[in-house]
Amino acid sequence: MFRTGRRGSRAAFAAVAVGSVSLLLAACGEGAGAASGGWQPTKPIEYIAPANTGGGWDTLARSSARVMDEADLVSRPMRVVNKPGAGGAIGWSYVAKHQKDPHKLFVTSPPILLVPLAGESDQTYRDFTPVARLNTEPLAYVVKANSPFKTFEDLAAKLKTDPGKVSVAGGSGPGSLDHVGLAGAVQAAGADASKVKYVPFDGGGEALTSLLGGHTDVAVAGGSEVQALVRSGDVRALAVSSEKRSPVLPDTPTLTESGIDYVFDIWRGVMAPKGLTGEQVAYYEKAFRKMVEQDAWKKESRKLGWTDAFLGSEEFGKFLDEQNKEYTGILTEVGLRK
Amino acid sequence: MDALNQLFHGFGVALSPQNLAFVFLGVLMGTIIGMLPGLGPISAISLMIPVAFTMDPTSAIIMLAGVYYGAIFGGSTSSILLNAPGVAGTVATSFDGYPLARKGQAGKALSVAAIASFVGGTVGVVGLMLVAPSLSALTVSFGPAEYFALMVLGLTAVVTLSGNNLTKGLISGTVGVMIALVGIDSQTSTLRFTFGRHELYEGVEFLIVALGVFALAEVFVMLLRRGQGGGDGTITSLRLSRRELKEISGPTGRGSVLGFFTGVLPGAGATVASFLSYSFEKRLAKDGKTFGKGNIKGVAAPESANNGAAVGSFVPLLTLGVPGSGTTAVLLGALLVLGVQPGPLLLDEQPDMFWGVVASMYIGNIVLLILNLPLIPLFAKVLRTPQALLLPLVVVFCVVGVYGHSFSTFDLWLLIGFGVLGFLMRANGFPAAPLILGLILGGLMEKSMRQALLISSGDLTTFVTKPISATLLALAALSLLAPLYGAWRRTRRRQGLSEDDGRGQDERRKATAGGTRERKNG
Repeated sequence: MFRTGRRGSRAAFAAVAVGSVSLLLAACGEGAGAASGGWQPTKPIEYIAPANTGGGWDTLARSSARVMDEADLVSRPMRVVNKPGAGGAIGWSYVAKHQKDPHKLFVTSPPILLVPLAGESDQTYRDFTPVARLNTEPLAYVVKANSPFKTFEDLAAKLKTDPGKVSVAGGSGPGSLDHVGLAGAVQAAGADASKVKYVPFDGGGEALTSLLGGHTDVAVAGGSEVQALVRSGDVRALAVSSEKRSPVLPDTPTLTESGIDYVFDIWRGVMAPKGLTGEQVAYYEKAFRKMVEQDAWKKESRKLGWTDAFLGSEEFGKFLDEQNKEYTGILTEVGLRK
Repeated sequence: MDALNQLFHGFGVALSPQNLAFVFLGVLMGTIIGMLPGLGPISAISLMIPVAFTMDPTSAIIMLAGVYYGAIFGGSTSSILLNAPGVAGTVATSFDGYPLARKGQAGKALSVAAIASFVGGTVGVVGLMLVAPSLSALTVSFGPAEYFALMVLGLTAVVTLSGNNLTKGLISGTVGVMIALVGIDSQTSTLRFTFGRHELYEGVEFLIVALGVFALAEVFVMLLRRGQGGGDGTITSLRLSRRELKEISGPTGRGSVLGFFTGVLPGAGATVASFLSYSFEKRLAKDGKTFGKGNIKGVAAPESANNGAAVGSFVPLLTLGVPGSGTTAVLLGALLVLGVQPGPLLLDEQPDMFWGVVASMYIGNIVLLILNLPLIPLFAKVLRTPQALLLPLVVVFCVVGVYGHSFSTFDLWLLIGFGVLGFLMRANGFPAAPLILGLILGGLMEKSMRQALLISSGDLTTFVTKPISATLLALAALSLLAPLYGAWRRTRRRQGLSEDDGRGQDERRKATAGGTRERKNG
């Protein structure tokens, strides 16, 4: 490079050009430091959303990352990375590769229990460190506006007599969230859930498109995912799975109101790889505890139809144990447990 | 007239100095990031999202949309110059763009790409404006059976992309489909072809294969030639003659429309659109044989289609609230957080936003054209870089692109692996394009087929009893049988003529008659 000449100067230029690309990348990684004792992250946090962009997990990851970055609750930026597919197993198998790495977090919900129970993941929830539960949201059972099913009982009756005639679209793999939320409700209504034709799509968006086109008869999706289509009258929500009516779909009855004794909450939370130190877990737990108190977060939760339901690391761990027992029961009953 | 009024109103929104600045910023960022191999619109948008969240929702979506179609616009540059696709949607552009560049016609290829992109984008916006509300019906009309049929039709292009050796093309396409199956199966969560590697659970990223098989393999080939036989750096005219403009007008027009409608279908998108358009034009063109060797029509077709598709994918997003591609999914997430709920009511409840975005796309496309055209001579000069410098640069770009995407060293090994595969394929006369096609369409084809069969309880007739699916499959059958029939007829004629000397008179007369009839028809 010391030899001057056309070639030499080009080489120098190229080196600078390449260098500035990596500088640009590195510059994005610099963030403001939030003071706090004990352990602190030393580089940007890779915050995994184990689903496609646009879905519930993704929105959770992006919103919480933004609120935390803006309120300076973590000393390094939270960078959301989407690892979609196979009901979440793809995302957390990635996190599992990074044991003891305190710069990896992932947003999670019932699939972290369900997918392993169905024998479809190398990891179980015990392979990760619970950090915090943040909120809950109901599942919604929806049909197209012109469907003959007016209530969930109508659907249940059909599923009892002629399950082969009804196809139900969901946004996650068999034995995963949408499927179990459906199976549990169907079973509670007295039909054979193992006979229901459940069609897995990649995410609620694709499932709803297939419903709108009349390719499937029913769709199961998160309450907030169906909100716009319910409001416009394109689809009808038969029921929501939460204990109380959801603020997102205030006119839709709960399953319990419809006479079906079943409650299924999509809880959402954050987990970290196995092997984090107590200090590291405490750091993130504290950050998320502060995060749910932010006005920006509350405002966003309202927009997205989430009910705050914070649990710290330890309580979240216990809650996971309880949920795991309950899901094991449902999956065994419907023959999905492997 | 109402729509026209609304559009004027939309221009009012888009032409505010603030929004103009954001359109400009968006397309500029997009076109630059699009040019860098490996970094696609999703990375570009993710990078801009923090900025967008501080803005008012309409400005934010105007800017983010600009990043998206800007990236598709710019992605062709590195496809043409370096054989390293900038974004997935521009892989097909390298088929003819790169050979053109090697012939010293890089400037011409870039001009064609810019013009076709501009037309594709603009046709897309017109479509979005005129028919968006009614198009949501088309969006949902495609269920699993229809997607399966569309993918089958797309895969028949293996025949046209195979070049001289159909068998090798089919092998290559099959390998592509197999690569698409790697990972956890979305229908049953079963592991396939993962060899116990966690890194493969997520499947193989499309761009890694494309960069390996095209860009890296090309580097290997050049290395083997020790720099001989490469482009000599001369750049002939940049301008297109009137005749050339006329030549590309057909492919560009058809590509734009085809691209737009493909983009409207969730799950298809810019990459599928560009391949469909490319293979369609190759079959249609009289000089189809020169496709793949540097035909400007082969640049115009995919470039107009991918830009049309980029705009088309806004239809499901804005009218149904359902993302039509990975990129619009990111946009949807951003919109929700900004407090905008896209869906059937958006047009009524927030007309400012809808029409503002539409108007901004007209402006954005013009900005892109103005931005890109004068830079073409500058870009084309990249090829004058001595090979000793250019080759390492290509490698660096590939590595940065792949690593910047996943931060995984395993992916870098994959990149090298596919580079070697691509090189061996080239050395043994296996075409790479069918592999890429199989990879893009294979996964979606398999998934759709299984979904369709689940819905129909295993009844295979579901594919032929649905009108759209049946039509697409019929087209697929036709496109496979037509060349076979042609070949059979040619063989018959040749046999007939060679049998002339030995065999009976009757047969000869029949053959000659057939031959004459054929010539007349031809």
